[in-house]
Amino acid sequence: MNKEQTIEELKSIVKPYIANQEAFDTLTEETDFINDLKINSANLVDVILDIEEKYNIVIDNESMERMINVKAAMEIIDAKLSEKE
Amino acid sequence: MIGNDIVDLALAKKESNWKRKGFLDKIFTQQEQLLITSAESPEVMVWNLWTRKEAAYKIYNRQTNIRMYFPLQLVCLYESETSGTVLCNGNIYHTKTKISEDNIYTIAVTEENYFSQIKEIKVDAKICKTNGIPYIIDDFSEIKKPVSISHHGSFWKGITL
Repeated sequence: MNKEQTIEELKSIVKPYIANQEAFDTLTEETDFINDLKINSANLVDVILDIEEKYNIVIDNESMERMINVKAAMEIIDAKLSEKE
Repeated sequence: MIGNDIVDLALAKKESNWKRKGFLDKIFTQQEQLLITSAESPEVMVWNLWTRKEAAYKIYNRQTNIRMYFPLQLVCLYESETSGTVLCNGNIYHTKTKISEDNIYTIAVTEENYFSQIKEIKVDAKICKTNGIPYIIDDFSEIKKPVSISHHGSFWKGITL
């Protein structure tokens, strides 16, 4: 899966939870879920559950700890998808 | 050090579905989940424990400069509806929680005697930030005083020592 596609998919996953539209519109790999997108920290669990459902993967606790920005989310999705192969 | 966290219950109801499959497992230990399921109001217990974890995490983050998303490593030892401790990687934080009809508010401290020294700051106080950590400048002494701020829905709380 290519990066652009994963970013687009991630954007549609986080969209319902964001509170900063500008940061969302200019989202990059460096975008931070809480500091930039202003996602409520309780809703970060929803983002993680939505990712699990969308890609049919399990995000273990160690991976979840790193889930604070787009880059980490992409790496985790990639890693978990390749484990499945 | 101090940390605080507030949850607007009406907004939380809209924003979060804590009954969603997997939600509790990602945030709460088995013991905490037992507290939730056996509580008179599971919903209030969810946010009671959540604000404890968040308030404690704010201190942990300042102490260690570590930013991670690990609610399961913030372990609540529940003494009562209003008090307890949170453990995180060998650190102990004491918490006091206030439950109102429309919000739940927790303050966490590293030393229990801080509870009596905490002062609330006003919403219009001039708050500055260094490395993402907010502080105010004391009018009298001109000393930088760290503050902890929490805002959710209709509620805003700021505290300092």
